[in-house]
Amino acid sequence: MISVTDLHLSFGQNAVLRGVDLEIAQGESLVIIGGSGSGKSVLIKTILGLLTPDEGQVTINGTPRTAAFMSSIGMLFQGAALFDSLPVWQNVAFRDLRGPKRQDARAHAVKVLAEVGLGPDVADKYPGELSGGMQKRVGLARAIAADPDVLFFDEPTTGLDPMMAGVINALIRRVATDRGATAITITHDMASMHAIADRVAMIHEGRIHWQGTLAELETSDDPHLRQFTSGGADGPIQPHW
Amino acid sequence: MRFLAALGAAVLAALASIGRFSMFIAHTFARAVRRPFYAAAFGKALLQIGFFSLPVVGLTALFTGGALALQIYAGGSRFSAEAVVPQIVAIGVVRELGPVLVGLMVAARVTSSIAAELATMKVTEQIDALHTLSTDPMQYLTVPRVFAATLVVPLLVAVGDTIGIFGGYLISTLRLDFNPASYLQNTVDFLEMRDIISSLVKGAVFGTIAALVGCYYGLNSDRGAIGVGVATKGAVVAASVLILAANFVLTEAFFST
Repeated sequence: MISVTDLHLSFGQNAVLRGVDLEIAQGESLVIIGGSGSGKSVLIKTILGLLTPDEGQVTINGTPRTAAFMSSIGMLFQGAALFDSLPVWQNVAFRDLRGPKRQDARAHAVKVLAEVGLGPDVADKYPGELSGGMQKRVGLARAIAADPDVLFFDEPTTGLDPMMAGVINALIRRVATDRGATAITITHDMASMHAIADRVAMIHEGRIHWQGTLAELETSDDPHLRQFTSGGADGPIQPHW
Repeated sequence: MRFLAALGAAVLAALASIGRFSMFIAHTFARAVRRPFYAAAFGKALLQIGFFSLPVVGLTALFTGGALALQIYAGGSRFSAEAVVPQIVAIGVVRELGPVLVGLMVAARVTSSIAAELATMKVTEQIDALHTLSTDPMQYLTVPRVFAATLVVPLLVAVGDTIGIFGGYLISTLRLDFNPASYLQNTVDFLEMRDIISSLVKGAVFGTIAALVGCYYGLNSDRGAIGVGVATKGAVVAASVLILAANFVLTEAFFST
């Protein structure tokens, strides 16, 4: 169980998180939705420990997050964030390049690449030689390579065509379900949300404005949620022009 | 009053920058004695900083040595002291021009490259990705580069010194009619071990500065393409100024009487 309690974080005068409370149960797939600049990425980076909150805390199974938490997570970044200077297989098996597993690192990388639908011919290419969709797949392979307990996905379908987005959604759903991992995804892609989520939380003005299951989302009459999910310009949410 | 406030703010900002950079240096050296050590990254940095800098260092040293010989000859002829060309070329190149020019070339080529690479990694979230892969970015990115630069820049300086002296030798023997054998003999006789040691120590210090500054600016860059540009420019300027300042301090330490 990951618990986020009263999280506050400001950048100068800009208060991005203004008291976020959230609980994510083990094995569930939570999708966090919200408009651009609503604090989704900041929230996920604060949960990970990449940003330090001004107030509040993140606990894992009731104890404060430690450095060891990083060894139990995998993350797919919005732009994949692959290391340009390393071939694909070294990106995927990055954790194995040192330590006792390094002899088998390449074979392991090829196996994980196959799980995301990429052949062994991709292993020796560099990230710059791959399309955006393939880079996302490699990023996904890197995220799942160490068999993590918690997976984070930051805008996994941004910049992809609908077909490739569908492929990535299916892969995320499959790896999360097959591995029994907890999945936390941030997105503003409604198709992605429907494909991935067990539960949805909407962040608005730095707080969790609404949360519930997909079924509850369909029947909710919350005006903010309705406006956001239907994509309307008219409503209580004022876009940042 | 407004001027004093602006001056105070500028001084405070400068002191804060010095403090942040000092902390960065302390963190780097603390990690340098800790495991893991990334040997592959170190090897790659040795090649990038050392081997691939050889052409620019060689050409710079060659032309500078030649120009120095011409200048000393022209200046010395005013006092009938043309014969001191080999000695002054040797001392000038080994004590000052070799290490300083190599340091500045490394700042231009290596510091800029490190700053741009690391800033781009930050912009594209590769630094965050390292964190999520249980890897300390400073340990993985900074320590190998600083180690490599500290070790390899003295070697570049040695190569630069040799080629610089050779440049002076070429001009002196081909153009100024010096006797080749006596030119070399004068060079060897005049140089002291202290000159060579000071040259290599300067190389090590300049290499450390070049890599540290590049890493500091790269890892602390702002987001976006402008952030990368600002980091790169700032790194080259800061490294060049620090190298020249360090050169003065080291010259004072080695040669003050």
